[in-house]
Amino acid sequence: MFRKSAVLIAVLTLFVFVFSPTVGNAGDFAIGTAVENFSLPDTTGKVHAFNDLKGKNGAVVVFLSAQCPVVKAYNERINQLAADYQSKGITFIGINSNSTESADWVKSHAAENYKFPVLIDKGNVLADKLGATVTPEAYYFDAKNVLLYHGAIDNDRSGKAPSDNYLRVAFDSNLSGKAIEKTRANAFGCSIKRVGE
Amino acid sequence: MPFLPRNVITALGGVILVLCFSISSAGQGNSAPSPRPATQKSISVKQIDIVGLRKALKPSNKPLLVNFWATWCDPCREEFPDLVRLDAEYKGKIDFITVSLDDLAEINRDVPKFLAEMKSEMPAFLLKAQDDDAAIGFVSKDWSGALPLTILYDAAGKQIYYRQGKVKLETVRTELNNLLSPAKIDSKE
Repeated sequence: MFRKSAVLIAVLTLFVFVFSPTVGNAGDFAIGTAVENFSLPDTTGKVHAFNDLKGKNGAVVVFLSAQCPVVKAYNERINQLAADYQSKGITFIGINSNSTESADWVKSHAAENYKFPVLIDKGNVLADKLGATVTPEAYYFDAKNVLLYHGAIDNDRSGKAPSDNYLRVAFDSNLSGKAIEKTRANAFGCSIKRVGE
Repeated sequence: MPFLPRNVITALGGVILVLCFSISSAGQGNSAPSPRPATQKSISVKQIDIVGLRKALKPSNKPLLVNFWATWCDPCREEFPDLVRLDAEYKGKIDFITVSLDDLAEINRDVPKFLAEMKSEMPAFLLKAQDDDAAIGFVSKDWSGALPLTILYDAAGKQIYYRQGKVKLETVRTELNNLLSPAKIDSKE
């Protein structure tokens, strides 16, 4: 009896070990690919569709965190960008995919920090779909839901002296009908804490 | 008990006091907490740019384990005791370095302080790159910049293990054992 139990526990342990999810395996959503409309609840539970939140010139999906110091350092810049481009038809949609951050925590953080909706990506479904792994991480989609830019907001996480404003340049290029030169840029940030990690 | 003059007793008392103080001070240097553990333990963190990073990521006839981290990164701090354990287990058999992505201002403050608290003995670097995007791309085309990141290279520089997020200790051990004694592992199978 004891031997059977021990074998069962060993098999189950092996199963969990082999099939546990990993962050590094998330797929990357390619530039030029269109995202299907998706719906997620905001911090009050109201469900929003991406296509309803999108502006006439597109939308930015930005993965956020209530506790990440890098996100905190970017909050002012993110709000400034959202304010500057709202009138130009580009809206911001915050996404929180962190399994370690409670709904109440995300709600109060969003209310205190952002003037745009923050949606809760329970089970990191959208993060997996887009291949998002870090906060903050921005995805700029045009009016047809095609991904134009993916990655960092600018090249200075401290905010002291950014010299490359990647996201702003992408907005301006597209709004003036020019091709976006830099469509992908990475920056150091916090890992998105996925379910099961 | 023989009678001793008052001045002899005073002198003996003084000697005992000095001895006690010396023993106490010596003990603090080894184990007791001190007000400035980082400086007392002499943990030095070397600043590197992307050129220095290229050099640091080149193995020198041994497997090389590299951990990218920051003091502001919760999972980085959480996994650090495991990394220190790994370093102790494989000391001399592999090279193990840590690369901090903290602000440069922390190179003599929070970074060495945390490493001292962890009793870390791995060579410690702080990366200050002109262009983070280029540095991230140099390390791995798969890396988004999310911390922590741990990479194991074999002695020839081939990437054997890549983990964005907290390491899985047993997986790293398996990879290291495979690298260090492949014949032994083969014979077990």
